[in-house]
Amino acid sequence: MQIVYGVFILLLVSFGAVVMSLEILSSNLMSPYFGGSIYIWGSIISSFMVHFSVGYVLGGHLSQSRPRISVLAAFLVAASLWVLMIPAMYKPVCEFISNRIVDVRLGSLIAMNVIFFVPVSIMAMVSPYLIGIITAWRRQSGFTAGMVLFISTVGSFAGTNATAFYLIGLFPVSRIVVGLGIICLCVSLITLALRVDRRIRIPNANDRA
Amino acid sequence: MKGGTAIGFILIICLGLVLHPTAQAPGDDQTLYEGDSIYHHITIRQDGTERCMIFGRQRDLRQTCVDLAKPDESIFEYSAMMFAGFLFRPDAKKVCLIGLGGGYIPAVFRRHLPSVQLQTVEVDPFVEKLARQYFAFTVPPGQALSIDDGRQFLKRSRERYDQIWLDAFNSDYIPAHMTTREFLALVKARLTEGGIVIQNLFCWSKLYDAQVATFRTVFAKVFVFEGQKSGSCIIVASDRADIEPKDLLKEAQKLGGRIGGIDLKAETGKCKVPPAVKNAPVLTDDFNPANLLLMQKK
Repeated sequence: MQIVYGVFILLLVSFGAVVMSLEILSSNLMSPYFGGSIYIWGSIISSFMVHFSVGYVLGGHLSQSRPRISVLAAFLVAASLWVLMIPAMYKPVCEFISNRIVDVRLGSLIAMNVIFFVPVSIMAMVSPYLIGIITAWRRQSGFTAGMVLFISTVGSFAGTNATAFYLIGLFPVSRIVVGLGIICLCVSLITLALRVDRRIRIPNANDRA
Repeated sequence: MKGGTAIGFILIICLGLVLHPTAQAPGDDQTLYEGDSIYHHITIRQDGTERCMIFGRQRDLRQTCVDLAKPDESIFEYSAMMFAGFLFRPDAKKVCLIGLGGGYIPAVFRRHLPSVQLQTVEVDPFVEKLARQYFAFTVPPGQALSIDDGRQFLKRSRERYDQIWLDAFNSDYIPAHMTTREFLALVKARLTEGGIVIQNLFCWSKLYDAQVATFRTVFAKVFVFEGQKSGSCIIVASDRADIEPKDLLKEAQKLGGRIGGIDLKAETGKCKVPPAVKNAPVLTDDFNPANLLLMQKK
């Protein structure tokens, strides 16, 4: 049981942190092509909110129909691979869009969604997915929905500050993004390797299947 | 009933908060305007005959000051130093200025360099409005104003300029995306043969060393004018190999020594070749800790 909770905490903290780190870094990716105005932040924040909401619905739904951590981890592997591709993809994407769309609001909104929709939506699935599994698995557990959101938010806090205050001053943005991709990939693979699903007995799960 | 009254009160208070004017018209004798555009908190203050446009909450970050009695006079050292660009390219016919502020620089062009075509680029439409309203800014024939991000403007423009003046500032500093090697390469691509770029910046932070280092990766010749009365510096950069600081005095004399209220001869003494600074990072779109470097004193 310790291992299961350990994996949950690892997933929540690391993906909570990576999501916010990407959000901070995205302003550096966008500003050369769309300027450094408040419009950019409007696009970044609203795009991430859309990705979060898609991830929440999808995560909640999947935790009901396929309540297995390995399913979540497989999605997270895909998201990690996407993040690893961002440094190669953002220049041509932003160049293409900014050459065709003069309005920086629309341009940055489209670029943000092309680059971040897939990975951030998947990462946003972590919290609702785990909440779904925990409620089915241990109704009486102290590990509540509130606790899940708390841990993930602490991760987000750390990711935001570490990126904005330190990482941007130490490394090129592309290298930070690759670093985040590697962290995500490692966490996802560790989750798969530990096969936590065998330690989780969900009542009626077999009936559903 | 009581609940209803309470809710009514709350609604009235909320309505009051919404309708409360955020842009205060004349608050005290000296503040002529205070309000927010989508980019900045902007204040316009007047002290005697000196009128200033200020971005942000700090009083010391004044974008433009004009003496209403002597509108030719350069109150800031930096704007006088920028005009020293004409010592490097006295024959300039087309100049592009990124950053309008209160419009002091376009006004000097209008009065004293009427044959030069000036293209000004300003990102904030509200700054233009205030410049017209409080600083008598106008766009005369031969000049043009575009409301656009400086980098986007240069990217889309197919024009080439003899001088490009970089004076874009927000309430913190130069926008980070206009400090990088990629941006300077774009500026260089928009210069005519032997054209020069002039960058206004502060001398006292580590960001200054990084910006000089970045200019050096793009341009063959990099000079700085170091302010004597202020913490302002000007970078002048070009690919023309035959310019030296010692020739500037001769050029100043050829130009008659002055542009309006600006004493070009006095400015020539501030020009030097900046020493190479070890460990100064080159700023790129990928690695750009401009905001963090700005906080670090040299």
